[in-house]
Amino acid sequence: MTTETTATLALDEDTALAQIAATLRALPDAGLEDAEIGRETLFHDDLELESIDLVSLAGLLREHYGERVNLALFIADLELDEIIALTVGRLADYVAASLRATEES
Amino acid sequence: MSRFLLVVPPLTGHINPLVAVAAELTARGHEVEWCGYADRIRDAAGSAAVIHECVLPGTGELTRPPTLTGPAAFRFLWDDFFIPLAEAMAPAVASAVRTFRPDAVVTDQHAVAGALVCERLGVPYFTSASTSAELVDPLADLPKVAAWLTGRLNALREAIGDPAATHDPRFSPYGVLAFTSRELVGDMAAPDAERVHLVGPAMAERPEVPDFPWEALDPSRELVLVSLGTANADAGTRFLREAAGALDLLADRVQGVVVDPGGRLTDPPPGILVRPYVPQLELLGRARAVVGHGGHNTVCEALWHGLPLVLAPIRDDQPIVARQVAAAGAGIRVRFGRVDAPKLAEALRTVLDDTGGHRTAAAAIGRSLRVAGGRRAAADHLEQLVTAHPVASAGR
Repeated sequence: MTTETTATLALDEDTALAQIAATLRALPDAGLEDAEIGRETLFHDDLELESIDLVSLAGLLREHYGERVNLALFIADLELDEIIALTVGRLADYVAASLRATEES
Repeated sequence: MSRFLLVVPPLTGHINPLVAVAAELTARGHEVEWCGYADRIRDAAGSAAVIHECVLPGTGELTRPPTLTGPAAFRFLWDDFFIPLAEAMAPAVASAVRTFRPDAVVTDQHAVAGALVCERLGVPYFTSASTSAELVDPLADLPKVAAWLTGRLNALREAIGDPAATHDPRFSPYGVLAFTSRELVGDMAAPDAERVHLVGPAMAERPEVPDFPWEALDPSRELVLVSLGTANADAGTRFLREAAGALDLLADRVQGVVVDPGGRLTDPPPGILVRPYVPQLELLGRARAVVGHGGHNTVCEALWHGLPLVLAPIRDDQPIVARQVAAAGAGIRVRFGRVDAPKLAEALRTVLDDTGGHRTAAAAIGRSLRVAGGRRAAADHLEQLVTAHPVASAGR
């Protein structure tokens, strides 16, 4: 089930960040309900999330944005050092860029 | 009668299952010798163990700051521990093979020197999986990380193995002894899954059973054991405090026993038993649930006794083991660094409530672990390995 109608327009990085933060806070059992989440927040060291959580997040973002945001593909292209240094801001940039790209195409 | 060499890293949880296998092989009249870090092997296998000593880098201990978790812990584990360990162990493994002339070798998946030296010298060997985590291809979604590790292992193979070999050295082409069961692992994605022998936990007799104040246990309350294993004393202070708080919140129906080897829990709430060491198997026989970090050995021991779990994984294979337990319905996973006393109490209440099905699922996995055969099945597979691949030992 996708909810494409809720997010068919391209959106800026800040909006993407806010939506990702909301999705992370709602991750079941992640304990992030009250977490501060900003651009520089580290996915692993600050949020204590794991690669499996990245996969869950990819699924949730796909439900939200539809096929245009393929976070699993983005994650699969990351080197180990990039995963260690992964920030929420970088995910937001990727989401915003993906939506812009499909908007233009 | 055959000769078996067991190659292990200096990690107690990796050595323990092979201690049980060694006892079984010895009882059947076989000869068993060890290769690894002598102090750690003697602690687990007893002072009579014959050991081909490895000179290890640094202190030979895996020490990491508590904050090192996730992918950074993974990088450290390989770059700063397993790879240097393999380089350091290789000469001792080769020398042990030449002097002891084993018919077969069992080498831990993470004592990579064992596998690489065996492939170079042409000795049949099993790799030993002391956790269920490597059997599910944990890096499947991270191909570049998988490639990073493959690159490290290939470089190691160039140095100490047979450069013509192509298989993953953690998965011996002769077979893998995995001390877990299908019901816990779920769907396996290991290379050559048909050669993975799921033998269940192999539990050794524990020579020293610590004292325990059995008279302090209250039969009218449900016993809950909280343990983060032996290797996480420095990381667990906050969590143990929250766990003690959770036990206090449930004090009307639950009696908690907290294992605290580091003495971190100062001033615990009244009514909670805090002990540096406990007779774990005996306690599990009387417990109703376990709170832990997802170490495979303790998880299997709890499930063996049909106990549901609340798991707060810290790093390494623990998140994967915790996910497997949760997926099997036998427990709940919480976040080690974030969970607080009320949330932990809620999770405990959930697994203790038998209508939720966690105990039923735990009991089902427990049965699968009990019938998997353990040390005897492992010894059977090793005897078959020797029969199928007789070694021309004169050639070495």
